Formats: sequence, structure tokens, C-alpha cells
Amino acid sequence: MSEPSPIVLVVDDEIQIRRFLRTGFELNGFVVHEASTGTEAIRAATLRPIDIVIVDLGLPDMDGSDVVERIRSWSTVPIIVLSVRSAETQKVRLLEMGADDYVVKPFGIAELLARVRVALRRQSRAASGEPSVTVGPLTIDLASRAVTLNGQRMTLTPKEYRLLQVLAQHAGNVVTHQHLLKEVWGSIHMQDTHYLRIFVRKLRQKIEPAPDSPKILVTELGVGYRLALSTEAESTVAAPVAVP
Amino acid sequence: MPYAKISIGDAFRRELRGIVLTLALVVVVTLMIFAFVWQAGLTRGTVAYLIPVLIAAIRWGLVSALFASFCGVLASAYFFFPPLYSFRITDPQEIINLVLYVIVAIAVSQLASRLKRELEKSQKREKDLADLYAFTRRLAVAFDVSDIQAAIEDHLTAAIQRKVVLFARDIPDDKGRRANVAVPPAVLAEIAKLEAPQSRSTDSSSATSGSVIADQGGIWLARAVSPKNPEFGIIAVNIGKPTQDSVDDLRVRIDAILSDATATLDRLGIAQAINEARMRSQTDQLREALIGSVSHELRTPLASIMGAATVLSTAPALCGEPKLQALVQDVRSEAERLNDDIQNLIDATRISSDGVRPMLEWADPGDIVDSALERCSQRLSGHRLALNLPNDLPLVHVDPVLVKQALVQIFDNAAKYSPPGSLITVAVRARDGRMIMSVSDEGAGLMAAEVPHIWDRFARGERLAAATSGSGLGLWIAKAFIAANGGKMNAVSDGPGRGTTMAIELPVEAATVHPLESDSDE
Repeated sequence: MSEPSPIVLVVDDEIQIRRFLRTGFELNGFVVHEASTGTEAIRAATLRPIDIVIVDLGLPDMDGSDVVERIRSWSTVPIIVLSVRSAETQKVRLLEMGADDYVVKPFGIAELLARVRVALRRQSRAASGEPSVTVGPLTIDLASRAVTLNGQRMTLTPKEYRLLQVLAQHAGNVVTHQHLLKEVWGSIHMQDTHYLRIFVRKLRQKIEPAPDSPKILVTELGVGYRLALSTEAESTVAAPVAVP
Repeated sequence: MPYAKISIGDAFRRELRGIVLTLALVVVVTLMIFAFVWQAGLTRGTVAYLIPVLIAAIRWGLVSALFASFCGVLASAYFFFPPLYSFRITDPQEIINLVLYVIVAIAVSQLASRLKRELEKSQKREKDLADLYAFTRRLAVAFDVSDIQAAIEDHLTAAIQRKVVLFARDIPDDKGRRANVAVPPAVLAEIAKLEAPQSRSTDSSSATSGSVIADQGGIWLARAVSPKNPEFGIIAVNIGKPTQDSVDDLRVRIDAILSDATATLDRLGIAQAINEARMRSQTDQLREALIGSVSHELRTPLASIMGAATVLSTAPALCGEPKLQALVQDVRSEAERLNDDIQNLIDATRISSDGVRPMLEWADPGDIVDSALERCSQRLSGHRLALNLPNDLPLVHVDPVLVKQALVQIFDNAAKYSPPGSLITVAVRARDGRMIMSVSDEGAGLMAAEVPHIWDRFARGERLAAATSGSGLGLWIAKAFIAANGGKMNAVSDGPGRGTTMAIELPVEAATVHPLESDSDE
């Protein structure tokens, strides 16, 4: 293992949560730093090299979204938010503020690790300029704008390709409806989710083996869509992070 | 509505109009008498002057009638009694005639105008009674305290014919309503004084008669609806800028209306109802707050329990220990179940405390079904699943998360009340402007008598209560979530042991996809 261990900053005011996260991450080859308040988290993020931040939304001194905003103002470090259910608008707001993904409490460590790996991989891909994304049978070559399914080259309309491209750029992480609409149709159509629904349906007919229960282009109800990169990552939970 | 026009200017104008019209009538009658005298050779037409007197008394009241009599005397003396075209009268016979005419005219005026007053009074009374009757009917269908207060307010507004503002007592959210109405601060201060408990006991005179507050916007009258029952609140009326007399008139009138209204309220036991409703809502609020905070407090440690269990299950130390692994798995799945129950409590609190506010968006019904199935994959793993999802379903304009949660409750029920290995069929179809999502199982079914009650809060199937677990909130929550999306739910069963079909019905409106936008790149 020549790769250095990734460093995770865990921000939560509950000591029990921090404890299980520390154990879980350490078992999977991470180095863990902890912070119990937002102020502490921001200080830690400025002082130390951090590879990824896990932030709980309910902090005693400031709102979790403030932590996201403050860190985002100077750093591109991946941020994953720990949220509660029935807060879709809040999730969307956080994602738009620059959080990379969210996990709903209560969650299993495998779920969080999968999200963390996806975010780390995306970060390193962005750094190395790796041009292609593979999701199951689907490969999207962002450099040559070619999409292949089981090795077969596919023909997509320009908007379908653009949709897939935006999702592939965030492969594995959720992309909000608003972001997709803005990127594909332009900012005046930010509220027109029905365009998106119809295009996703068409796209799924082309790329999904079973369009009724999609496994590649996955819906996050009330939030957005995700290119499900994590399928193979989840099956190898105990394996160290693959950093290409 | 004479009582509505209390200002002096109005009354004067009305009298003047009567007098002018009376004068016109007298002129007409004089011309007619002239015509008769000239045509038929008659010489005496004085009696005809009783006609304008009668008309004036009935139409315009006593003043006009007396004026008509006076004009009649003058006109007779001038036009018809010798010497003609002079007010002098020489014949004593004629003087007697004229005196008789005056006596009759005055008597007729009195009688006719009294008749008119009686008529007006009875019409007014009739209207008051009709108002009161309408008020009673409205109270009978009043649903809660604010309905009753709105009824009182509207009734008084209609009866007094001025905008009446009702200030309910001890209703915290009434403050917002107060801010909406342009009531001057001086009046608000007076109302606060009337509301204060000591003013109700010691200074009863101001509570009964109310207070008059002069403001640049006019004169305001504030008083308790009922001095006996502070529950009914306090009213404030802006009566414009009338004179002292008309203020007193209006006060008498308001007193009469209020005493009628409070008699009705007393008869219907409204005060007690308001009191009970308030106490009920306070207990409800307390209960909701308790459930809310308890469920939050429970959920936080659950997150640690579940997280820790999942870490343990992947720990290398437990890898070769299947029995311990199974225990850890139990911890996890039980924590998940507990979490679902707590979530139900939170949802129930949300439904009853502040209502469900759906975040509407265009959603693909397939996505909703898929994500509900995904959520229930653990619970449904023991069942066979058949999915009937046409690929040309229209989009629905709903809150997809709420619909999904309703579906999860239905799947949960189907899994709970049907044996492992049995078939659960999920079908979605669009028909007649509605989208129907149905879930059929081969389980315990429902008895006809059970069907109407399955949607009740805390309803549990009596027959199977011992064999299954649950809070009885699931279907109640599902129904509330679907109702918030403008849809409805129903359940059909062929009978006990013959399976159940639960259906969600959602309205479908056409999504306006601009052809240019959607097909521009095809």
C-alpha cells in the first residue's frame, strides 16, 4: 500500500456518533480527525490537510450549512452531509451550496463509506483529468463524447448526451434537478422538472437493462438523480480506497 | 333601512326631499281641482287636498304631512274661496269648512305616519329576526372557535351595518389578525383594558356599556360582546363621525343586537363549547410537543446504535463468528424497525400539528414506485413481487416523497398481513384523468365491517393484533399524505383470508411540455 491513507474530518456534536464513525473509518484505512462544533471544524479544515469532511447538520454553535458554506469559500475538499429524513428542500439547498452528497440518519457505515469513496474518486479523477466514467455496462468518454453500452457505441441526442455528461461529471454523487435543468436546458427552465422526467425516461429506455427498476440512472426522490457508481464499491466494503 | 342613516345631514335631506315632493303634489292637486271646477262647474274642491296629506304622511312622515295640510289651507283660501286669488276669506261657512279640513288633515297625518312608523319597525324587527336566524344556522355548522368568532363578527357587521372587529380572548395567534385590521392604537389599548380580568369583575359599567374612543379616523365603540361571558371576546366598531345623539342611538341599537346574539349564544351553549375547544387544543399542543421532542430524543441515540452495529458487523474480529454476526444483525434490524416507528410518530405529529405542506413537482410514477420498493426491499424480500408498470404513464404533479412514504406504508402492511412466499402485485395505470397505484396481496384480507376503520388513527386489525406489531398509524399517515396531494385512497377485499387491494388515486393534469423544447434535438 504505497498510497497514503485518506484523512477524514468528522464534525458531529454527539460523541457516540463520532466514536462509531472513527472506528468505522479506521477499520477501512482512513485517518480520522474529529470536531464537535462548527468553529472547531472550520479551524481544523484550515490548519490540517483534509481529504474529505463529514458534517452533521445539527451543530450546537452554527448550522451545518454554514460550515459547508465557509469551507466551500476557500476549499474544494469533498463534503458529505449527515441529514435527517423529510428535509428534501434542505438537502437540495446544501447540495447547491457545495456539499457533494448527503446520507440520511440513521445510516449504516457501508452506505457512508460508499459515498465517501465516490466523492474521493471524483476528486482524484478531477485532479488527474481521467476522461471516462464507467457505470456497470455503460461507459461515458467525456473527452471523445462517446457513450458505449456493453462495448457497443450508442447514438444519443445532444440533450440526452448533455444530461449524461453532467451526471457523469458528478458520477456517484447526487445531482439536483435544478442543476441538471440549468446545465441542459438553461437557467430559465430551472422549475420545469417535467422536461427532465421525460428525458430521463427516454434515456433509461436506451441505457438501462430493465428501465422499470433503474440501476444506472437512479432517482433520488425530491432531490435529483445519481449515476450509480457505487454498486461495485459497496460490495468491496472492506477493501482499501481505490485511488487511480 | 332608516336606522342606518343616523347622521343629521342625512335626516334633514330626507325631510327636505319629502317637503319638496309634497309641494309638487299640492300643485298637481290644485291643477286637477282647477280642471274639475272649470269642466264640471264645481266651486268647492278643498276636500281633494286631503290626498297629498295622506300620501305625504305615508311616504315621507309627519312633517311632510303637516306641510301638506298647511299648503292645502293656503291653496284653498287663495284659489277657491272668495275673494279669489287672495288669502282673505269672507264667508264664515268657508272658515268652518277650512277648520274642519285642518282638523281632519292633522288627524290623518298622525294616523298615517304612525302606521308608517309601525310598518318600518316591524320590517326592521323582521330583518333582525332573519339575521338572528341566519346567525343561529351559521353557529350550528360552526366547526371550531374561529368559525364561531367569525359568525359573531359577521352577524354584528350585518346588523349594525358597520365594520365590526371582534377580538377573541386569550387566542395567541389572534395577534396576527389584529395587525391586519386597521384599528388605531388607542382602541387597542382600550380593548386590552377591557380584556384585563380585573375590569371584568370590578369595573362592570365599562364592560356592559363599553367605551367610546375618539380618534382622527372617527369614533370607535368598544365593548364586551357579553358582560357575563368574557369567552365571546370584545368588539370594536368604527362609527364614523356622528353626533352625540346618534352615538347614543347606535349604542342602544348595538345593545339590543348584542343581547339577542348573546341570548342565542347562551342557548346553544357556545361559551362552554369555546372553552372546551380551547382546552382541547391546549392539550393537543402539549401532546404533539411531547411526542415531537420524545421522538427526536429517541432518534439521536438510534443513529449511534445503528451506526455502531454496522461497524461491528464489518469488524475483522467478528468475521469468523456467525452467531455474533447474527446478533449484530438483529441489533441493526431492530434499530431500523424502531426508527420506522419513531418516524411514524414524527409524521403523525407533523400531520396533526401543522398539517402537511406538499412540495409539488412533476414526478414519474415509475420513480415513486421504484424508490418505495427500494426502501422496502428488506421487508418484501420474503414475498414474490409482480410489477405492472406501463412505460407510457403520464407524469403526476405531486410531492413524490409523500406519495412514496404512503406507498411504503402500504407495502409494509401487505408484507405484514400476508404469508411469506405469497404474491404481492404492484400495478400502476392511468385512467379518466386519474393515476391509480394499486398494491394487491394474498394475505389476511378484510371483513366488510373493518374496511371503514382501517384509516383511523391508531387503528389495529383486531383479528390479527396479537400476531403482528405496529402502532396503527401507518394507513392513517398514508391517507393524510395522499390527501395532501389531492388524491384519495381506498381498500378492497373479497373477505377474510382472500387478500387485500389498496389503491392510491392521484389526479393527473397534463404537463405542458413545449414541443419545441422537448423535441428540439430529436
